[in-house]
Amino acid sequence: MTSSTRGVDELLPLSLPVFHMLLSLTEGERHGYALKREILQRTDKRINLGSGALYGAINKMLEQGLIVESDERPDPHLDDERRRYYRITPLGRRVVHAEVARLRSLVELAEVRLGVPDPV
Amino acid sequence: MVDVAKLYRKLLKLYPASFRQEYEGAMTRQFRDEQRDAKGWKENVGLWLHALSDIAVSAPRELVRELSQDSRFAVRVYRRRPLSAVIAIGTLALAVGASTGVFSVTSALLLRRLPFGDASRLVELSDSPFSAGNGRAGFAEWRSHNSYLESAATFSISEMNLNSGRDALRVRVTETSANLFSLLGVQAHLGRTFVQEEDRPGKNHVIVISHRLWQQAYGGNPFVIGSAAHLDGAALTIIGVAPPRFDYPGNVDVWSPTVFDFEVIPKHGAFIWQTIGRLRPGITMRQARQEFETDVARVNPKSLRPDSSSIPQLVGLRDQLSSQIRTSVLILFSVVLLVLMTALANVAQLLLSRTAERHQEFALRSALGASRSRLLQQLTVEATALTLSGAALGMIFAWLVARAAGTVMPAQLATQEYTLLDWHVLCFAIALALITGFTFGIMPTWLMGRIQPSTQIGRMNSVTSEPATGRLRSALVSLQVAFTLTLLVSSFTLGSAFLRLVHTDLGFEPANAVTLKVSLEGSRYQTGSAKWQYYSAVKERLQSIPGVNAVGAVNYLPLSNNVLMAGAIQVESGPKVPGVVLNGSMPGYFRAVGSGLIAGRDFGLDLTKSPEPPVIVNEAFARGSGFGPNIIGRRIIAPWTPRPYLVAGVVTTARMAGPEYEGGPQAYWPVEEEPPSALTFVASVSGDPRHYLAQCRDAVIGLDRNVPVYEAKTLDQSLNETMERPRFYTTSVLFLAALAFVIAVAGVYSTSSRAITQREHELGVRIALGASVQQIRTLILREGTVPVAFGILAGVAGAAGCGVFLQHLFVGIHISGVMAFVVPSLFLLLIAIGTAWAATTRVLVIDPIEAIRAEH
Repeated sequence: MTSSTRGVDELLPLSLPVFHMLLSLTEGERHGYALKREILQRTDKRINLGSGALYGAINKMLEQGLIVESDERPDPHLDDERRRYYRITPLGRRVVHAEVARLRSLVELAEVRLGVPDPV
Repeated sequence: MVDVAKLYRKLLKLYPASFRQEYEGAMTRQFRDEQRDAKGWKENVGLWLHALSDIAVSAPRELVRELSQDSRFAVRVYRRRPLSAVIAIGTLALAVGASTGVFSVTSALLLRRLPFGDASRLVELSDSPFSAGNGRAGFAEWRSHNSYLESAATFSISEMNLNSGRDALRVRVTETSANLFSLLGVQAHLGRTFVQEEDRPGKNHVIVISHRLWQQAYGGNPFVIGSAAHLDGAALTIIGVAPPRFDYPGNVDVWSPTVFDFEVIPKHGAFIWQTIGRLRPGITMRQARQEFETDVARVNPKSLRPDSSSIPQLVGLRDQLSSQIRTSVLILFSVVLLVLMTALANVAQLLLSRTAERHQEFALRSALGASRSRLLQQLTVEATALTLSGAALGMIFAWLVARAAGTVMPAQLATQEYTLLDWHVLCFAIALALITGFTFGIMPTWLMGRIQPSTQIGRMNSVTSEPATGRLRSALVSLQVAFTLTLLVSSFTLGSAFLRLVHTDLGFEPANAVTLKVSLEGSRYQTGSAKWQYYSAVKERLQSIPGVNAVGAVNYLPLSNNVLMAGAIQVESGPKVPGVVLNGSMPGYFRAVGSGLIAGRDFGLDLTKSPEPPVIVNEAFARGSGFGPNIIGRRIIAPWTPRPYLVAGVVTTARMAGPEYEGGPQAYWPVEEEPPSALTFVASVSGDPRHYLAQCRDAVIGLDRNVPVYEAKTLDQSLNETMERPRFYTTSVLFLAALAFVIAVAGVYSTSSRAITQREHELGVRIALGASVQQIRTLILREGTVPVAFGILAGVAGAAGCGVFLQHLFVGIHISGVMAFVVPSLFLLLIAIGTAWAATTRVLVIDPIEAIRAEH
């Protein structure tokens, strides 16, 4: 069921945590805890993923074929414990791009209707 | 110091197996990381709160996800062998349906609350000395001084004529103390109920009518409040309408606060006073009973002696209302449970063999790293999916069963109109399905024991050597057979008892008879001669209807639930015959009802004025007197008059209460002598009596519209009503036994056929070594028959034990002789052998070469 032939549109819209995770993974491989910390930092601590939510989302993305496990290795910044790293798949990339496009068109639509807001 | 990460790891057990297996390590590690990064107690507390809320949200989500995955997989598994899945679901649906249906009735009768305010604290004081018999002041004095009741009400039920301007009606009336409604916590639907002082003489000329009567007799007219109605001639004012379906204490249409003032509504005959009460807050039933007994001992110590005919008792109102059929309902429920267990044994068989067949798959998955709990979860989901679908289908069946059972509920409770299928029942069905699913989902896995992947993978033929599951499967077959035999013997016993009832000679002929009642209470016919004139006119009118052959009338008609009064009658120069029911009849009655005259003759029209009026006795009386038919011409002395009666005839003994009960001695005196205020007319007709009902009724109503003509029905209808209960029990047990039988046969068949499939290799070897197909078939048959034989032995024992309980269902049930056991046992054994033999035809298609090759 994890086929890359699956329509990208079927996977949209992405939930905010998933969007952030995929976005982080476009910059390189990450392990779970690193993803969590990165998202926390990026969103000004607004999105604080619990382990259950984090691995639940990872599990789902693995099933959908958006990411794959790369290997287990220690995180040089943390400690010597081996951690599971995840890598974004080509499908994952396509999906994240499609989501960006979807958001952009939404924003454009809103701008046409509401007028371009003044920069704050 | 507590290792909090360990605690967190424990919490992760809330996640489903697969998810846990995959991420438990990572999640625990991450928790440790976060713990390390947290500074100060505030951040630590925050971390925990966050972790807990995260688990609370994500664990159920993952569980649902994984369970739906497992369910989809389960569907695929079942699709591979759809027939056995369909059979299992169907079996379960029937069994769960039947047991849920019966449970719904059981729960309505025994478990649920009565539709009264705080009903658990309501009690009945049966045979108590505290009743309206003590007068208003006496009752009030006792009520205010007793220590266990907060309040108490007393009442008496009787039938009366209600005239309110239209055709007169016969209604059941409860004369009560004014506080009945407030005691039960029941409010009026319209108008009001009685106020406290309304049971005082002078204030009590008021009535509350039932919702049903309001609808039927008054068309739901709200202006009925304040209007007048006559009860047996007494003028009373309607002050309220009771809420819909309220008819306590049973089928009542009118309540009047006249229990302490019987003069208001004139009446004669015997009354039975009943008393109910509400327990004081904080007092237990046991304490209340003790204080009640002390109370009774003070007032009437004799009544508490064990030899007393009726011992005063304090019983919960619900128990009191359901007591008559409690045992029957529980027996029926147990019968249904037997069927359910037979069905569950089938499902267990299916799941067990499925597990055995998939041993390889599980060994492989286990070798590939699937945890034991992962496999357990999968099996449980598969089993639960099966049982839940069975239960869901079963609800439809349950609805039908509950409806069927509801029609034969005792009137007292049926009129309260419980919803039969509600959330209690739904919970029961779901619980049943889940428990079965869990049990049989987990049991096979437990039996699989510790799968050793390394040893199992190499062994392609793991299923042939599963002694544990094999033994369990045989035990299940034995159980099925035992339960089924118990049911078969029970239904055989019930069926033959029922047939005996049907063929019982009733002492009268219920076919072709129309019966109807008239009552002259409160009418203009009050003197003896006026009554006799009216009755004679009724008889004439009925006789003039074309097709009517004979007409007569009687005080107490058989099959009409009369409370019969019995006394001892002295036979001149003979013994005193005890327990004689005194009945009165009009000439022509015996011919109309089809009671044969054994000796002598019926009353003539000229006999009653003679100095020695005639009396007709029945056979039981004649036998009891010792004279037999020679009693004709002898005198008897009735208790109410010193004047002797001359026995003019002997008639067959009528079974007054129906075929279940022997008829007792009766003496019929001529009603002309002292016409009673009510009579039941019987007309025997040519052809279908139902066609005469309306005509007969109209003919009598036309005589005087102020006299109620009621209970117009055929005698066959009355017989049917009497037989309803035995018929219901017999049909249900027969039906359930048939169901269990089908289930068990399916079980035997599938066990034998699976035995062959799973031993194909071994059987192939045997054939290759020279065993004939017939020998193999005999071998399989013998192995299949052993558990059946054990089951039959256990079943015979079970059935013998059950016979005792069955006797509570209706009179005349007894497991008589060996036949009741032998016939069903042989039948079951032969069918089982036949089924197992049919299953062994699979052996014929075994190709030894293929069978051996397939295993290597």
